[in-house]
Amino acid sequence: MKKIFALLMTFALLLMTGCGGGDNKVSDSNKIKMGMITRLNVSEENFEGFVKQVEETLNVSIASHKPVYFDNLNSMLAALQAGQIQEISTYTSVARYMIAKDPHYALLEDHSLEFIDSFCFALREEDTELKNSLNMVIKEMQDDGTFGKLTKEYITDIKTYSEPPAIELPHFDGADTIKVAVTGDLPPLDYVSQDGKPAGFNTAVLAEIGKRMLKNIELVQIDSGARAAALTSKQADVIFWAIVPVSEIIPADSDTPAGVVVTAPYFKDKVVHMTFKAETK
Amino acid sequence: MELIYSIFIKNGGWLTILHGLKVTVEISALSLLFGTLLGSLLCFLRVSKFAPLRIFAQVYISIVRGSPVLMLLMLLFYGILARVGIPPVAVAVITFSLHTAAHVAELLRSALMALDKGQVEAARTLGFSKWQAFKLVTFPQILRIAKPVYQSTVINLIQWTSVVGYVTITDLTRVINNIASRTMQPIITITGGLLIYLAISWLVHGIFYLTERRREQ
Repeated sequence: MKKIFALLMTFALLLMTGCGGGDNKVSDSNKIKMGMITRLNVSEENFEGFVKQVEETLNVSIASHKPVYFDNLNSMLAALQAGQIQEISTYTSVARYMIAKDPHYALLEDHSLEFIDSFCFALREEDTELKNSLNMVIKEMQDDGTFGKLTKEYITDIKTYSEPPAIELPHFDGADTIKVAVTGDLPPLDYVSQDGKPAGFNTAVLAEIGKRMLKNIELVQIDSGARAAALTSKQADVIFWAIVPVSEIIPADSDTPAGVVVTAPYFKDKVVHMTFKAETK
Repeated sequence: MELIYSIFIKNGGWLTILHGLKVTVEISALSLLFGTLLGSLLCFLRVSKFAPLRIFAQVYISIVRGSPVLMLLMLLFYGILARVGIPPVAVAVITFSLHTAAHVAELLRSALMALDKGQVEAARTLGFSKWQAFKLVTFPQILRIAKPVYQSTVINLIQWTSVVGYVTITDLTRVINNIASRTMQPIITITGGLLIYLAISWLVHGIFYLTERRREQ
């Protein structure tokens, strides 16, 4: 019994002192900690692998940053405000919204790599008809300038003290309902208004899609990490998805779980880095 | 002060918070009710002389108590009950009831074990029936012994419900997260949310304190 106890204690001691990996810690401590939202279906190790490949292939230096992953925007901003991370990686539209809401946030211009992510809808693989219909409507809306109009109203013209009100979703008696999961965690694209209704650019896009497809849209709010589970378990028919720039370095399906397909992109946004300054000038 | 007003009060924002609070209280209260009833039954099975029932209760308690409540919730909502069409709030109540029941069963069993068996034997010798001995001797003492731990279970349950955002429910935590995302003020908003949870805990503590005082009088 005593031997087992001694063995367990030794094992616990080894765990606590963190045997191995010491070299990495020393080098990581000098890096700029950069907050990122966890991507579904891409492990943190895989993502760091992609970053390394990007560095080697494009001959750029992004090794000065150490990614720190967060489940949602709130916790990432809280860490930024508390100084636990020095920068965050987010979209230009979100950055513009952040600065409009709080002048302590500032854009960093000097990061060496610029990615442009594409926003699209993710659906179950077997829902081919829905995917085709969505693709058709997205093309229509791109051609007639609807996306441009919505982008201006919900993203470009964002005000400091107010947001565009939550849009009323159309209702068609007896029509099919598409259940869409929203996170409410990416303003001005996706947020929840003061009266508790899902709002923002994505909701406005959905309302227009519902009108054109003559289908009812039901919104359910969900935590970002549960999106894929909601889709595959049929608790939601559609979820919002951002696809990483596809190239020889990052495979097209790197971020898409098995059994999930994505529509054509309806919006593109550049990834930028932000910081938080406790005192504004 | 103006910032706090704009975050929590302006344009009926407090009504949204109140709605989230209502959902949290609703799920907590129903789960506590069903969890306590199921927990009492499990405790009865756990101390049963019939081995299969005892083993069933033992296995149930060890599995459910050892499972993270979020995993259990997601497993039920996105897995076992996904095709049944039960509303998300009902799935949350089922999950938290099952989880609370395991804890209540164990706290009742520990209260039972702490009882002096001699008192029941004495009551039986004095001519009390089994039911009378339980109602007049065992039960009041179980209540007294189990009360402090039960209070902690109630408070824990309220805090556990903060994960229901994973299954499409907009509770107090989700409302607070929504506000933080919209206003870009996570620290102030989360502090406000924490104070509301703290107030609920103190309210629970106050209710238990009052019942204790009434008993002493």
